[in-house]
Amino acid sequence: MKDVYIKTEHLSYQYEESNFPVLRDLSVEIGKGEFVAVLGHNGSGKSTFAKLLNMILTPSSGKILVAGKDITDDSMTDEDILALRKTMGMVFQNPDNQLVATIVEDDVAFGPENLGIPSEEIRRRVDTALAEVGMLEYAKHEPHRLSGGQKQRVAIAGIMAMQPQCIIFDESTAMLDPVGRKEVMDSIIRLNREKEITIIMITHYMEEAACADRILVLNDGSILMDGTPSEIFEQEDALRVCGLNVPQCTELIHRLRHQGIELKGDCVSVEQCAELLIESLNKEEKNG
Amino acid sequence: MAEIKLENVTYYHGKDTPYEIKALDRINVTIPHGMVTGLIGHTGSGKSTLVQMLNGILRPDEGSVLIDGTDIWEKPKRIRDIRFRVGLAMQYPEYQLFEETVAKDIAFGPKNMGLSELEIEERVKEAASFAGLEPQLLEKSPFDLSGGQKRRAAIAGIIAMRPEVLVLDEPAAGLDPKGREDIFSNILEYHQASRNTVVIVSHSMEDMAKYCDHLIVMNEGAVWMQGDRDYIFSRSDQLTRIGLDIPQITKLMLKLKAHGLDVDGGVYTVEQAIEHVLKLYKK
Amino acid sequence: MKSIALGQFYPSESVLHRLDPRIKVILTILYIVCSFLCKNIVSFALLLLSALVLILLGRIPLKVVLRGLRPVLIILIFTAFLNIFWTKGEHLLFGWKFIQIYTEGLYAAVFIIIRITALIIGTSMLLTYTTTPIALTDAIEDLLLPLKKLHVPVHEFAMMMTIALRFIPTLVEETDKIMTAQKARGADFSTGSLIDRTKALIPILIPLFVSAFNRAGDLATAMECRCYHGGEGRTRMTVRHVRFADFIPLVLLLLLGAALIVFNIVGIGYTM
Repeated sequence: MKDVYIKTEHLSYQYEESNFPVLRDLSVEIGKGEFVAVLGHNGSGKSTFAKLLNMILTPSSGKILVAGKDITDDSMTDEDILALRKTMGMVFQNPDNQLVATIVEDDVAFGPENLGIPSEEIRRRVDTALAEVGMLEYAKHEPHRLSGGQKQRVAIAGIMAMQPQCIIFDESTAMLDPVGRKEVMDSIIRLNREKEITIIMITHYMEEAACADRILVLNDGSILMDGTPSEIFEQEDALRVCGLNVPQCTELIHRLRHQGIELKGDCVSVEQCAELLIESLNKEEKNG
Repeated sequence: MAEIKLENVTYYHGKDTPYEIKALDRINVTIPHGMVTGLIGHTGSGKSTLVQMLNGILRPDEGSVLIDGTDIWEKPKRIRDIRFRVGLAMQYPEYQLFEETVAKDIAFGPKNMGLSELEIEERVKEAASFAGLEPQLLEKSPFDLSGGQKRRAAIAGIIAMRPEVLVLDEPAAGLDPKGREDIFSNILEYHQASRNTVVIVSHSMEDMAKYCDHLIVMNEGAVWMQGDRDYIFSRSDQLTRIGLDIPQITKLMLKLKAHGLDVDGGVYTVEQAIEHVLKLYKK
Repeated sequence: MKSIALGQFYPSESVLHRLDPRIKVILTILYIVCSFLCKNIVSFALLLLSALVLILLGRIPLKVVLRGLRPVLIILIFTAFLNIFWTKGEHLLFGWKFIQIYTEGLYAAVFIIIRITALIIGTSMLLTYTTTPIALTDAIEDLLLPLKKLHVPVHEFAMMMTIALRFIPTLVEETDKIMTAQKARGADFSTGSLIDRTKALIPILIPLFVSAFNRAGDLATAMECRCYHGGEGRTRMTVRHVRFADFIPLVLLLLLGAALIVFNIVGIGYTM
């Protein structure tokens, strides 16, 4: 694994009004530049986990280390918390509820303005960030006239303008149509590959999780599975037990294997599945 | 019996303003009786407008909407009756909840119909059970429910009107995989028990392939294709051409076909795919 | 519903559009003062002329400006009517039974029409048509900045304005959606007694409030995540510097005001 960037130790969290902890004894390490998808059914503690990482919520017990620094420590000053939130950006589910300004570029400038960055530098960052998500031509538009996918890209630009190390996506594609989802996913993948931003992506969509380097499956507040998409999808039955499924192609390969057909290799994407099948059929032909 | 027919329906958003947009362009659609019909299309393809035509929320600028051959706008003053016959659950319907208790909220529609207390009570129970709401939730405040339960409560509020046609706009939007499956199986159970016509609007072609018998594909304010499920998916290459997201399994089959393998590109479920692929092995 | 124009900003490249918004706010206040300084024919003529000059400077089509006047048309007619029939004077112009029209009344009516029209044209040309809501909010914040020393939460006030402007279209759309959803359940907003109709609003207002509160909660979290911590240590992307040219209209308007005062003292033409 790459250098550890985020480390949680025995993390627990319980909402005041509830009798059960949402997160219990969660320990995990996330590497710098890693792309981690977090899966789990509604109420499995995914969103709580995300909100703890930038101290929107404070853990009931346990520690969180970001770049080696204990962010749960009592000695954290207000400045330290601002610095943390600047480093750990967050994009939420509802695109309408996270844009502040009436003009796209003013909204993207909101974060850097709060950080007290000089004006010319903000201008530069806003333009760069909008270009990174392909929204530069919409700089002067009003957010409420944009599509859902475009709004989410503006939200991402708003985070990028703070120059974070890590971005947490809390079901940021859940309210989008397939076109919008693809736009946002493309942006996320590009930020991870080109800008080496660490990505923590909470999602319900298995096809999106398949794009990550690693998947964490949360169930009842603790980590049930941790591995590459291929390793995770291998455990189809266990996934179904906690209310998840696997992509259709993966399911097909699994069921063919059950029928005794030899299909060796990863079967996470459509391409991989197609290759597996073609290869196996070719072999069959030679043998037969 | 309730077959809905749209004849040459044209509709403009913001008619007679500088922002006028043609949302529907001479639409001819039949929603067959007693089937589950799926309505597919991009955002902005006109599906949501079409849906609001079915129960008379919007009135066509040209053309007519017929239920069993009668124009629903024949007596504009009686249009409310049409809304009881064609029940529409909008996208993210949970925002329509407003009453003190779930039961009262579900009763809102039936109350507007002017039914007796007894009748309303019976319908509320029936609708809640169709929508998969546990009876003990009925006396809770709708705002204390979980996201999935709110959705069910809202849908129950429509079912309680006992509409002849139930229209659901993205009933599973934003739910997790289990939640999606559950809500669709509830809808199917309702359909089988009531034999009523159901219309589902969705972006998810995988869900459409699983749950709908008949499909209508919209594109740029017009009907691009309509027919039974097999017919529509046998033209899946055309669906990709207008940028629709076909089921993943269909994508795989099209890939295999492009590679020269003898499979059907019209496959849309994992079961069908297994059958087709096993045949290849037997050869 | 979606095409609702907020603040009626009319994009164009005119002198007025380029003018520093802070100056524009001051000009507007001065212009209002000027309109109340008018007391005689010459000054009202000058006021009307200055309103026309503003329209030309702002390069806003006359049609748009007139449309902006439409909502006050009834008020205009009503006040003119009152002035014509109820102003008593020395010169009776027309008398029939109890209807008596004096020259003074006629003048008063014309003056009030000019004053209201000029006020509306002046404020809309200087502010609403030529300044984006956000620039306006920023300008007000800047101008009120001295009040901060008196612990007036100037920044917070401006932030609230901005957020309100941002969310009005969203909430309008939401209201539309909720209305459709309740109509689909047979809600009836257009018939029945006043009490019935008011009652019919409950199924719209409750969901709207619930959703607005949820949105507010979400937005607060999102703002916190973007390091919002009040106005302290905050910078701005667009910093406006007042240029020398920005002062020219200020000087012109002050001259107009001075002229009006002089006219009042000298008292040229018919005076109220």
